[in-house]
Amino acid sequence: MRRLKRKYMNDFPILNRKINGKDLIYLDSAATSQKPVQVIDAVTDYYKNHNANVHRGVHTLGDESTELYEAARKRVASFIGAVTPSEIVFTNNATDSLNLVAQGWGLINLKKGDVVLTTVAEHNSNVLPWEYICERTGSGVEYMELTDEGLLDMDVFKSKLTDKVKVVVLSHASNVLGTILPVKQISELAKEKGALVVIDGSQAVPHIQVNVQSLGCDFYAFSGHKMLGPMGIGVLWGRRELLSNMIPIRFGGGMVLDVDKKTYELAEVPECFEGGTPDVAGAVGLAAAIDYLDDYGMENVRKHEIELTSYAIEKLRTVKGLWILGPHNPDVRTGLISFVIDGIHSHDVASILDSEGIAVRSGMHCAMNLHKNMQISSSTRASFYIYNTLEDIDKLLAGIEKAVGLLK
Amino acid sequence: MDDNLYREELMEVYKSTKNRGTLVSPSVEVLEKNPLCGDQIKLQFEISEDGIITDAKFDGSACAVSVISSAYLMDNLVGKSIEHAKKLTKEDLMGLIGINLTTSRVKCATLALEGLKNAIGKYENGKSNTENKNKNR
Repeated sequence: MRRLKRKYMNDFPILNRKINGKDLIYLDSAATSQKPVQVIDAVTDYYKNHNANVHRGVHTLGDESTELYEAARKRVASFIGAVTPSEIVFTNNATDSLNLVAQGWGLINLKKGDVVLTTVAEHNSNVLPWEYICERTGSGVEYMELTDEGLLDMDVFKSKLTDKVKVVVLSHASNVLGTILPVKQISELAKEKGALVVIDGSQAVPHIQVNVQSLGCDFYAFSGHKMLGPMGIGVLWGRRELLSNMIPIRFGGGMVLDVDKKTYELAEVPECFEGGTPDVAGAVGLAAAIDYLDDYGMENVRKHEIELTSYAIEKLRTVKGLWILGPHNPDVRTGLISFVIDGIHSHDVASILDSEGIAVRSGMHCAMNLHKNMQISSSTRASFYIYNTLEDIDKLLAGIEKAVGLLK
Repeated sequence: MDDNLYREELMEVYKSTKNRGTLVSPSVEVLEKNPLCGDQIKLQFEISEDGIITDAKFDGSACAVSVISSAYLMDNLVGKSIEHAKKLTKEDLMGLIGINLTTSRVKCATLALEGLKNAIGKYENGKSNTENKNKNR
């Protein structure tokens, strides 16, 4: 297993960089992952050899580009267990996908008095699109609290799941707490009440095996760049019948079949949601990232991250005044750890770690509601991926101890 | 200019209580926040009739850059006129601290400066309101 990991680590050119004279230890994959040479090469190859606009001209390159783009769609569909590739809408990122659901579905289906049920732990990208739609439709967002450990109490969920709830909006895995929510159970309960389930899978798809059909949700959104793929490509999966009844939010070229001055005829799903020239190279790069993850094996990704997370929790617990946010059981969380050190601001921790070549995230991680709810001003987040090692965590611990020594 | 923000003399400023705390009867106070990173700093000034800052203190929870720049700023302001304080620029503040800050940390340093400008505005507003009230009597 060790040798296998080394083999994969050599695939990431950026890991050879020195930061402030030290070897880069990249612990910010929850913000964006690094890219293996296979993905970088796939993007380069596309631009060098196949670049042309898709679904338009009849020339050879146009065909090649279209075939690559549609092959990427198939690749994504099989990776997350979609029924057909046409259930995959390519977007710019998860934020874009979530806005598409909120506006494309929410605007025509929500009405006065309806409730959008979510938690305080959501990323801004999963809450603000709904707050905006609720304001316009007279519906309202209701926030569920989490337990002290950062879990969703299913009894709380059941009690909040009233007949007024039309849609349940949740992150599959929290970007701050790491908590993995029981989406399958949530979907079953929501279905009984006739509510839709929209899942932000940005922090889940890169780290755990996801099958949208067995999860039972209705929409599932994620970004390519957090799962070894390029920036600028995102995915919205939706049930075919729901996508077919949604309105497009980006009008223009490529999303219509016919235009006759005052009237137009929309293209089929998913093209009708992909107005304008898409990020074909991004889709090609995402397909290469999925190939890479499949080769590594998602069960191995999970195994590796549980090993790193267990080790990190054990080590970080030894630092006086440091407390870890979210559940401590690695089986119910992903490979990221957010923590707070009494009396030390997260920016200072991150700056001192940076001087040691260690990249972590500091601040509120776009989850203001959660931080305010926990009454903390900010936190530091170390997030792991397939290229991280136990030695990285030893260095993280040494860096944190240095920060505590300097600032306390 | 030095790149090392966490060198010993700056850490002494960070931990120092010299300009930290609260004034008994401040002429003006502001609470300055940076919601993105959660910094929150209260600035208080005691200003004499002839517009001289006679005392200045800050307090709150913030990162080292915010704290150090607040400490230097407060220290520098005592004994100076409001007119002098109004003219202070970001560059002046950077000169006082004497460190090269990365792009992402510059806004931490300028939090106190923004607070100072807001405090002066508030003070002068309050003064002109009082003067107007007096005139109207």
